[in-house]
Amino acid sequence: MNMVRLDKKKFGDFILELSVEHAVYAPGNTGGKTDFIPVSSEDEINLKTLVTDLSPKGIFFPHSEVLYEYDTEGIRVPEKEAGKPIAVWGMRGCDSRSLLMLNKVFGSAIQMPDNKNFQDPYWKEKYDSSVIFGSACNMPQSTCFCNWFGDGPHSREGMDVFVVDAGDHYLMEPVSDKGSNILGKLTCLTDSLEGDAEAALKLASEAESTMVPPMDVNGLGELLNDLYDEPVWEDISAKCINCGACTFSCPTCHCYDIQDEGKGSSGKRIRIWDSCMFPIFTMEASGHNPRALSSQRVRQRVMHKYSYFLEKYGDFLCTGCGRCITVCPVNLDIREVLKTINVYNRQGITNG
Amino acid sequence: MGNYCVPQQMKVERIGIEDPARTLRTYDLSFVNDSDRDAFKYLPGQFCELSIPGKGESPFGIASSPTEEGFLRFTVNRTGSVTNEIHYLRNGDTIGLRGPLGNWYPVEDLKGMNVLIVGGGFAFTTLRSLLIYLMDSRDDHKDITVIYGARNPDLFIYKDEIALWKQRSDIQMHLTIDKPVDGWDKKTGFVPAVVKEVAPSPENTMAIVCGPPVMIKYTLPVLTQLGFSDERIYTSLERRMKCGIGKCGRCNIGSKYICIDGPVFSMAELKNIPETV
Repeated sequence: MNMVRLDKKKFGDFILELSVEHAVYAPGNTGGKTDFIPVSSEDEINLKTLVTDLSPKGIFFPHSEVLYEYDTEGIRVPEKEAGKPIAVWGMRGCDSRSLLMLNKVFGSAIQMPDNKNFQDPYWKEKYDSSVIFGSACNMPQSTCFCNWFGDGPHSREGMDVFVVDAGDHYLMEPVSDKGSNILGKLTCLTDSLEGDAEAALKLASEAESTMVPPMDVNGLGELLNDLYDEPVWEDISAKCINCGACTFSCPTCHCYDIQDEGKGSSGKRIRIWDSCMFPIFTMEASGHNPRALSSQRVRQRVMHKYSYFLEKYGDFLCTGCGRCITVCPVNLDIREVLKTINVYNRQGITNG
Repeated sequence: MGNYCVPQQMKVERIGIEDPARTLRTYDLSFVNDSDRDAFKYLPGQFCELSIPGKGESPFGIASSPTEEGFLRFTVNRTGSVTNEIHYLRNGDTIGLRGPLGNWYPVEDLKGMNVLIVGGGFAFTTLRSLLIYLMDSRDDHKDITVIYGARNPDLFIYKDEIALWKQRSDIQMHLTIDKPVDGWDKKTGFVPAVVKEVAPSPENTMAIVCGPPVMIKYTLPVLTQLGFSDERIYTSLERRMKCGIGKCGRCNIGSKYICIDGPVFSMAELKNIPETV
């Protein structure tokens, strides 16, 4: 299927049509911040936002999610609502790519040592049926560094439909079969015109040209492993106050806690976002804490993203969305951390 | 078990008190549902998450051996909110269980070998599982040596069984406590020092170590000095595990998750992993 057009005057119709068979999520305002929220009409959507304050991971991996309910009778997994599949509008390449990473954790069957496979039912049923309308990023921000990971503002990874904002209309191109399928069904779309493809390419190269050249991340995983015991982590973490804002806003941070919420003999067991920045994250009942120091926790976060995940799943656990940079109250910039690592290695280790 | 996030129901069959201060209790649990029982296959070294609705969940090594049918055994030290709640359980009460989780001691590789078991404190749980398992196929193994240390005589768990093991000629038992006390006629001193003193031969021997982090830290080098190769030393590690299925992200050492890549690791595996003990 080829590129199609959506006239912006018909955007409201498009959302209504999409809503017939889908639960639609799009960037919107909530509590003074921007986030991906459930929408039913054009009015609720904030089309001006660039990178949303909160990442879209919450659509598929909610901040808190009920694993099961309990009472005196026993325990029950809540009945699945016969809900519509999820459609997301306006997800930038950094964010759609983050879902591919989370899918490695939650979506792929994890082989248990006894050869049983475990699949996470809570994530899978939402993500597998979803359709992602990605958004080409025409205006990268100063905090954006998706180009460090071989990506660009017009990346299509993790999308089902690639969407370019081309002024008074959107250009849409299917990326997956699911994307072709849905574009074939929507009636408010029209064929693209001659020159549309070129216009999209031009926007892509303009966006790319505004980005700062990337740091070379080849070999970053090994570099980090070599520096594990170096004092550089104390310098890097000196100003971190372990607030955890970076992990909450991050589209790929997926660590969670399991907690019981209840009153009397009934309640529910939930999983809820947690943060490796908190000392209690690894604190054991005995008082022993393998990551008691801030420097150990900051190192864990950096190592998990750029070494451990790479080793386990073959990809960095970072899309360069820049949210952790924007949100950090002490201006700890992950790009500066990685540059420090890079330079430290060259000076401190290679040169003896 | 279809959904590893949801516990199955167990019934408390027997409660044993292990120490005079009553902080260490042993629970024998039976399956409420026969289908859960039939599906539950485990080996020594694996663990389960025990859960009390409204209070939470904690990981515990399985202390029973798969050769002992009809129950699963756990020894619980009263330390935090979940263990406190477990200590309130009475016979006949129910408790949630997820598992078996994690890997196991290399039981197949122990066949035809001498086995050295080194344990400390109430971490002797999965070592008890292993010891019972080995004794139930005693002819498959050569010498079995156990070095077990506790802070004081009260803090050994499974005292009745230890008394029986000591009488057997086919197990060499070495018990030690940290400091001398009146009436104690066994060894005194920390586990690493006693391992050095007993100096088991590394010849055709596999060493299995489980205990508090500090004991493991100082015991592994002693074994190396005695001539044990990295492939012949296994240890079981612990972290604050929550999900047990390699997703929640807190029990990692390097790129390995204790809950699915461990808890049992060979010394050879640990060499390349930072922050182990």
